[in-house]
Amino acid sequence: MSKSPGGIMAVFEHVDVAADSIRALKEMGHKDMTVYTPAPLHEIEEAIGHTSSPVRRWTLAGGLTGLASGFAMTMWMSYDYPVVVGGKPLGSIPPYIVIMFELTILLGALSTVAGLVFHAIRNYRAAGYDPRCSDDLIGIFVPCPVERRSAVEDMLKDKGATEVKVEV
Amino acid sequence: MTDGMNRRGFLKVLGATGGGAVALSGCSSENAERLIPYLVPPENQIPGTATYYATTCRECSAGCGLHVKVREGRAIKLEGNPGSAVNAGKLCAIGQAGLQGLYNPDRVTAPMKKGADGQFAEISWEDAVGEIVGRLGAEAGERIAFLSGNEAGTFDALVKEWLAAHGSSRHVVYETMGYEALRAANQQLFGIDSLPTYDFSEARFVISFGADFLETYLSPVQNTRGFSEAHSFNHGEMGRYVHVDPRMGQSAIQADEWIAPNPGSEGAVALAMAHVILRDGTGNTPRDVNRVRPLIEGMTPEAAEQASGVSAEVIERLAREFTAHRSVALGGGMGAQHDAADSTAIAVMLLNYVAGNLGETVKFKLDAPAAAGSYADLMALAGSMNDGNVGVLFVHGTNPVYNQSGFGSAMANAGLKVSFSSYMDETANECDLVLPDNHPLEQWNDFRPASGGYLLQQPVMQTVFDTRQTGDVLLTLATATGNNGGGLAAANYKEYLRAEWRNIQRTVRDRQGFEVFWNSSLQHGGVVQDAGDTQVRLANSAAQAQISTWVPSGDGLTFIAYPSPTMGDGRGANKPWLQELPDPISKITWGSWLEVSPATAEELGVVSGDLVYVSSSTYRWEGDKLPVFVYPGIRDGVVAMPMGQGHEAYGRYAANGTANATNFLADGPTGFGGRSHYNTVTVEFSGGEHETLAQTMGRNRQMGRGIAQFTTLAALIDGHGEEEHGAEHAAPVPEHIEEIIDEWQEAQWDDFRDKGNYAGEHPRWAMSVDLAKCTGCNACVTACYAENNLPTVGKEQVQRGREMSWIRIERYFEGGEHGEPHEISLLPMMCQQCTNAPCEPVCPVFAAYHTPDGLNGQIYNRCVGTRYCANNCPYKVRYFNYFDHQKQGDPVFSFPEPLNWQLNPDVTVRSKGVMEKCTFCVQRIRGAQHDASTDGRDLIDGDIQTACQQTCPADAIVFGDLNDPNSRVSQLSNDERAYHVLGGLNTKPGVTYLKQVRNRAEA
Amino acid sequence: MATSVQTERTEPNTYATITRDVFNTIGNPGRGYYVLLGIVLCGLAIGGFSLLWQIRWGLGVAGYTPPVFWGVYITTFVFWVGIAHSGTLISAILFLFRSAWRTAVYRTAEAMTVFAVMTAGLFPLIHVGRLWYAYWLIPYPNQRQLWVNFKSPLVWDLFAISTYLTVSTTFLIVGLIPDIASFRDKATGWRKKLYSITSLGWRGTDQQWRHYTRAYLYLAALATPLVLSVHSVVSWDFAMSIVPGWHATIFAPYFVAGAIYSGVAMVITLLVPMRKIFKIEHIITVDHFENLSKLLLLTGMIVGYAYFVEYFIAWYSGNPFERASFWNRAFGEYWWATWTMILCNGALPWLLWYKKLRRSIPMLFVLSLFVNLGMWFERFVIIVVSLSFEYSPAAMGHYTPTWVEWGIMLGSFAWFFMWLLLFAKNFPMVSIAEVKEIIPLPRKKEVHQ
Repeated sequence: MSKSPGGIMAVFEHVDVAADSIRALKEMGHKDMTVYTPAPLHEIEEAIGHTSSPVRRWTLAGGLTGLASGFAMTMWMSYDYPVVVGGKPLGSIPPYIVIMFELTILLGALSTVAGLVFHAIRNYRAAGYDPRCSDDLIGIFVPCPVERRSAVEDMLKDKGATEVKVEV
Repeated sequence: MTDGMNRRGFLKVLGATGGGAVALSGCSSENAERLIPYLVPPENQIPGTATYYATTCRECSAGCGLHVKVREGRAIKLEGNPGSAVNAGKLCAIGQAGLQGLYNPDRVTAPMKKGADGQFAEISWEDAVGEIVGRLGAEAGERIAFLSGNEAGTFDALVKEWLAAHGSSRHVVYETMGYEALRAANQQLFGIDSLPTYDFSEARFVISFGADFLETYLSPVQNTRGFSEAHSFNHGEMGRYVHVDPRMGQSAIQADEWIAPNPGSEGAVALAMAHVILRDGTGNTPRDVNRVRPLIEGMTPEAAEQASGVSAEVIERLAREFTAHRSVALGGGMGAQHDAADSTAIAVMLLNYVAGNLGETVKFKLDAPAAAGSYADLMALAGSMNDGNVGVLFVHGTNPVYNQSGFGSAMANAGLKVSFSSYMDETANECDLVLPDNHPLEQWNDFRPASGGYLLQQPVMQTVFDTRQTGDVLLTLATATGNNGGGLAAANYKEYLRAEWRNIQRTVRDRQGFEVFWNSSLQHGGVVQDAGDTQVRLANSAAQAQISTWVPSGDGLTFIAYPSPTMGDGRGANKPWLQELPDPISKITWGSWLEVSPATAEELGVVSGDLVYVSSSTYRWEGDKLPVFVYPGIRDGVVAMPMGQGHEAYGRYAANGTANATNFLADGPTGFGGRSHYNTVTVEFSGGEHETLAQTMGRNRQMGRGIAQFTTLAALIDGHGEEEHGAEHAAPVPEHIEEIIDEWQEAQWDDFRDKGNYAGEHPRWAMSVDLAKCTGCNACVTACYAENNLPTVGKEQVQRGREMSWIRIERYFEGGEHGEPHEISLLPMMCQQCTNAPCEPVCPVFAAYHTPDGLNGQIYNRCVGTRYCANNCPYKVRYFNYFDHQKQGDPVFSFPEPLNWQLNPDVTVRSKGVMEKCTFCVQRIRGAQHDASTDGRDLIDGDIQTACQQTCPADAIVFGDLNDPNSRVSQLSNDERAYHVLGGLNTKPGVTYLKQVRNRAEA
Repeated sequence: MATSVQTERTEPNTYATITRDVFNTIGNPGRGYYVLLGIVLCGLAIGGFSLLWQIRWGLGVAGYTPPVFWGVYITTFVFWVGIAHSGTLISAILFLFRSAWRTAVYRTAEAMTVFAVMTAGLFPLIHVGRLWYAYWLIPYPNQRQLWVNFKSPLVWDLFAISTYLTVSTTFLIVGLIPDIASFRDKATGWRKKLYSITSLGWRGTDQQWRHYTRAYLYLAALATPLVLSVHSVVSWDFAMSIVPGWHATIFAPYFVAGAIYSGVAMVITLLVPMRKIFKIEHIITVDHFENLSKLLLLTGMIVGYAYFVEYFIAWYSGNPFERASFWNRAFGEYWWATWTMILCNGALPWLLWYKKLRRSIPMLFVLSLFVNLGMWFERFVIIVVSLSFEYSPAAMGHYTPTWVEWGIMLGSFAWFFMWLLLFAKNFPMVSIAEVKEIIPLPRKKEVHQ
């Protein structure tokens, strides 16, 4: 944390209060705050106003890769060493659909998780953290230079934060 | 190979037999029989290439010629000698199982002597001979007796000469199946004591009075060959066969009409038929018939109806049919040998006589050896022993104590008892010395069957154990006692044999040098030439013939002990192949059973599998393993049991604790010197005890599924051959659907016709099976076991349905309920090699796949054992290895040393967890293809013979290339009788069946 | 019913109580838990011994009686795969349908899924003749230059089951991350270390939730067709064959419904004792059970209908083999298995039309046991009874399992419960984050909607 500019960590008991505070902070020009919630809360999400997560692209790419590799694998392997069974054509699409489907799901799911790890877990060390935020409190960390701290602190207290402290 | 024989020991044997083979093979002269290192390749021994030796089968008295396949010094398969007049290249199951006699793990491996404690201990040959010589010094003359089986030939002569040299003439011959009644009839009518042969060719009407001529009677392979030719459907014609017997045995399956008379009254029916023929003058009756006319005229059809319960109209009809065509009547089977069996045989011979069949279809060969020995002789010997009149008893090739328990106690009163048995059987156990004879495949010997000819035996390999040929032992004894004058001076038995063959050469008027004659005889398995027939005439004694019927005495059920088609008289009992071979009727393996008709079963309150107590006047069975088999093919009030099981000794497979049928029979010979195989018994239900039958049939009826189909001759002639019988629930695929499927099929196939191994032209191997010919004899089954190294799994596993028989004969009962006539349909079922095989696509690892030449390949070392293929096989012809059958110490170990020597090196022995199945003997296909390509020629139809086809005595199986329109199999596959089993499943099998044809009586 | 209501707590659930109560489940659960664990380990030992016995001597020690080449192992395989289904159904499909009640039970169901698939996956291995070569089913470059047969339903099965195991495990782990983070923030000692590592540094930031909720949605979207496909593929193991009684187009939906049916029953079987042992009756309430039993009723009706349709089609098709096969099911040697199945699966769920029954936890527990039994017999009837009565009358046979098969089956239950018990003791059995989502938000001002 030594490199972080430091900031204000506020803790809320009530979700509506926290949402209000977020909106207020945004109005004050603090856009890079970090909000800690024990569960995904719509009010908070709305207040922050993120765009859709890019994880969906990972899912799509993984699924298509699975589909294509399922097709390529089954067809190529059928003709690489031709073995006839039951008088059926060597490369029979209908049975191979099952394999393609399974690979679509498998690679889709795995790449979704990879996307999640890439986007979410990768930069987990944001700043201040309060362990109660995984229980029943909502935390907001606002990085802000020393000169602006008091204004933010006052605003948060005013809005109804349970606790406000300075994180360095 | 881990114990018993190591690699080095094996190579020694290999070298020795390799060296020996030069001497053994027909075309070479003498050679020292000594060890030759394999560095110097022995002549005739190419590793990996089989050598064939001609010899003679000695499993029964029929005298079939053998070709023994020898690989690296070991006999691995017995096949028929195509040059043989008896079997023409075919061989029955019992004959093929001779190999398991050679490699039987229970053989006596060295001379044994019974100690004071009653236990046998090994001694040396010298000591054994010394023991006998010592005793022979004290005993002489008629106190020396030699008891043997039927040894017609040089050995018989040696025994007689040897006994004579020692002042004795007591050579007693005993065969369980001695056909005493038949011989007595021939003696009475024609004054000759010999057995007839039957010529079925061209016979259009066959009637059997209790003669099981396709299973054990006289010469079953010869009979089957002739019969299947006469009775199969051929260009709109076929013979008709009627069987008269209270029980429907394997032969009777083929009968177009089965007539079940009162037990013991078949003779009356035969005689009444003769009566009708004589009355109507329809037969080609010889003029001297007047000698027996009163005998025949005494039996009117009405009187016969009274005695037998067969209506007079039926008898009249049968008599008309008998003379309307070339015909033959058979009688005197062992399964019908009751107290009046000689009457039956006389009546049947008279029937043949009045119809003019003698010399036509019933023949007595000029060179047939005189028959010898009977049950009466055996009983006389027993009496003589009890009187203390036997000082030294030799026993060779017969086991009377097994079926005549009183004989054992009689033997206790003899002096020194010497057995030459290969097994510690019941009789050997009663002896003081056991000097194991060589197995017939290790012997120099010869044999003369009743059908004529002189057949040679030669050793095909070095002896497996420390055994000696009995002929050599006798010669040694003669030398030791100084009684070695005349022929007994021969250096060894082979020399003695050659001396005899000099006489035979003169008899058959062969003018070549002796060595040429000898070598040619070795090559051909003997001398086969038709010596012509004896012209038989009625003897003076014919007029005195007494004809009676047997009437059951006392209350109870009539009991019949019939010779088992798989065990014979019990000799086969220690061969696992034969124990596991399903009985053609009951399909039960590994043990005996009691056949009971449905009505009688209901009276007794039993169902199939219930265990019963059976008691006759002489014996009561309370053991725990006599299950009932409910069989519609047996007359109410009659029960039957196969002979051959229930050994108390003899070996691990034979002594299985089941009941011995002959124990229930009365002791003491009948008027004609034989033993009655009929008795009266009472049967009681043991009360709730039941066992799962070790049966290979899941259901006894085919539920109208059209598995084994049949049609009638009349329908075929009228052009309705496609008429469905036994297939009420198997509607054929409509033609337009078939077309669509075929078109679609073609489109699928286009994908791989030019890919990988599939590119180019290939044969399409296929098979056709003519159900009109198949007699259900099981020869193909044993051939498959031998060729493909199938393991035998034992009773418990068969009860679990885990038998490994790649080919099985399915046997379905038809009718027999609500007064319909009972019939049986048969179908040999093996892998159908489907074009659209359901087993293939489901295998995840391509262990099951389609070869370019149309086989359903099964790659054993790819298989992981999901068993999906077996689930998806509608024919259920895939077999799974639940255990490591080839591994010593496994729960179900099938090849105890030296049984593993029989294994065919061309075929993998499968390990546990692997699926296996018939592949049309792919090793034979590849072998033939290889031979053809080294010869630089194309394969021709018939080059490849599968093992089952090769041995089929009825010639029901044909194999070949379906893509060749001229091959036999192509033509048969387009026959009007052709059908595919479960064809509606669109599996497109490679096996085509031709419907069984029933030649119904004209109304 | 009455008793269960009495045990419910009146104190309302809040964020704090939920975290606390769920966290308490990893505390000392009392003697009952250890007794159960002991029983389970004994069962596992029996199963292990039976399996080693079978590997030593071969499959012959099992009761296989041709033509019944598939027996108790495949029956139990399908049974466990079926059990696995409701987990994903509850977690993924109900998630997509935004069913709020699922949140309390889905973790149990999902854990059950993973462990059931882990159990099921053992059976094909136990079943094959040479299990040491089972890896040959995987397409990998090998010295034989041979690939696998993608036309074989068994290869589909391999792909389906392994995909299902992977995806459902992933789904479970992803769902667990925020909850483990909660535990991490409460735990001390070695557990804190364990949860610090396994929570992958989760802090519940807005960015994390942003990606997380999306990822979870997509996983659910992928898992939904997967869950429907897996049992369809399993059903095709049978339907793709030509065995009468197997070869039916109804099999895929029929199997899926049956799988969910059996899975829901198993969830009930598991939840009843668990909420007691871990004292979370106020989180998993009677309302949850009522919802589960409605699902049970629905799928039970579908299964019952499928039974009827099977028989109807067997008759209506006119196919003699099919008719004979179904006649044999009802009146043949295995009639008792068929009637057990029809009674347990077809008849008993009708009781659930009564609301009283739906809300009686003891009754539901007993009923769920019957459904589990019935569903095992359903697979037994389909597999064994169909095989024992196929095309060839000469090759019909009667199969009776041996002690080895029963031992291994017992071992499989032990294996399943062992994982479940260990998991429940160490990880949150109720989704903390998701339960929090559905309880009234802690707000200062009431919002009027």
